[in-house]
Amino acid sequence: MFIQHIKELYDYRNLIWVLAWVEFKQRYKNSVLGYFWSLLEPLFMFTILFLVFSNLIQAHVEHYQLFLLQGIIMWSFFTRSTTASLMAIAGKQSLVKKVYFPRDILVIAGCITALLMSIFESIVFLVFLLFFRIPLSLNILYLPIIIFLFFIIVLGTSLVLAALNVYYRDIQYIWALFLQVGFFATPVIYPLSVFPQYLLQILSYNPLAQVIFLARDVTLYSKVPNPASFLFVIFIAAVILGIGYAVFIRLEPRFAEEL
Amino acid sequence: MAVIEIDHLNKVFRIPHEKRNTLFATLTGLLRPSSYETFHALKDITFSVEEGEMLGIIGQNGSGKSTLLKILSRILVPTSGAVRVRKRITPFLELGVGFNQDFTAAENIRIYGIIMGLSPREIDDKSDDILEFAGMERFRDTKLRNFSSGMQVRLAFSTAIQTNPEILLLDEVLAVGDMDFQKKCLDVLERFKNEGVTIIFVSHELDDIADHCERTMLLNHGERVMIGETNEVIKKYQTQS
Repeated sequence: MFIQHIKELYDYRNLIWVLAWVEFKQRYKNSVLGYFWSLLEPLFMFTILFLVFSNLIQAHVEHYQLFLLQGIIMWSFFTRSTTASLMAIAGKQSLVKKVYFPRDILVIAGCITALLMSIFESIVFLVFLLFFRIPLSLNILYLPIIIFLFFIIVLGTSLVLAALNVYYRDIQYIWALFLQVGFFATPVIYPLSVFPQYLLQILSYNPLAQVIFLARDVTLYSKVPNPASFLFVIFIAAVILGIGYAVFIRLEPRFAEEL
Repeated sequence: MAVIEIDHLNKVFRIPHEKRNTLFATLTGLLRPSSYETFHALKDITFSVEEGEMLGIIGQNGSGKSTLLKILSRILVPTSGAVRVRKRITPFLELGVGFNQDFTAAENIRIYGIIMGLSPREIDDKSDDILEFAGMERFRDTKLRNFSSGMQVRLAFSTAIQTNPEILLLDEVLAVGDMDFQKKCLDVLERFKNEGVTIIFVSHELDDIADHCERTMLLNHGERVMIGETNEVIKKYQTQS
């Protein structure tokens, strides 16, 4: 069944791509600055957070500017795709009620749009990397794998949110609240070293924290990914995707009736 | 060979009296049982369609015609009964699904074409033909929002007919557009029919049904009243109402 679904998704690859492309393009279509908004958004966020926190935290962290910027870009990928997924089915009535295709395509396309935007934002990050002359190592080759695992985690979460929000429209408010807490429960602005041991224990179970650490390690600090975290992330990604599909497949048949 | 076989198909919709569409309402409502009406949209429908046949479906509003087409296109799931479809179904339930007002005609042809199952290469090859058939060559790069609704439907239909359907489901899509365009559309239908495409045609235009379908099914309140030779079925429909 799993293989069959992958095959069906492959048959619909053009549709996935065109839906992702439409969203991506539409986002910038009516704004004067167009694609530059995409670059300005993380820059603004970065500037503000940097002004506020640099003095507090810089002493503890090497390359704090990049540490912060990478955290922001990765966190926004998570917020953006999961937030978009809330309306991925619920906001696409005309498609869901009038044509057939595997419904998870809408969620996958939404996550790809968010990924494209994050890749685009990473141009700023690249400029910073060059400007501050961060020495890179071959370990950066792990980055695509880490991002892939991150994408799987995001997709699994998005599938649950997209399906539930069709039936329970207050999921979106609950999720907004959750994201606010999540921002501070994930080491985007601070390093773990500022915490006492017992909090570290709790935070180490946060898969987003682990993913962001891994990404920073291989990009900024020329380290090999920590095997324990790496295995943990692979395991969590598989579990979240599994849960995501289990929920989605259960709720999918009645989407067209519920909308 | 029968390409569509429908066996004792039932579809029941549940219409809740009070809709609980939030988690909060569902949790607080757990104690009170939820009450709902059931609406039996299709009752024990059985029929089959032969390859290359053009079957008409008629009936009053609310008789279950659209529900039937939606089940055939896998948008809705049946409550009970079996649906066997042996070829690829191309539904024209509504024209211009996925049209985006902020995009140009050419871009929308691409989006809609892919939704209808064309490959990007086929679309590149055919986009000139599509614009020509719609009579809109000059508007390739005009945004869709500047088109009248009639023009949008023409663009959609022109794109949709470029798909190579094996089974085509048509739900009164021809009711829009002017006389000329309707004529053009019926010509295309006739062409598909000659090419051996199986077609299910839902319409209130009894003349069109009589002209194109050999066999027709009459539905009334979700039940199959009659299926058979078109003229007899139409006669039955006219005496019934």
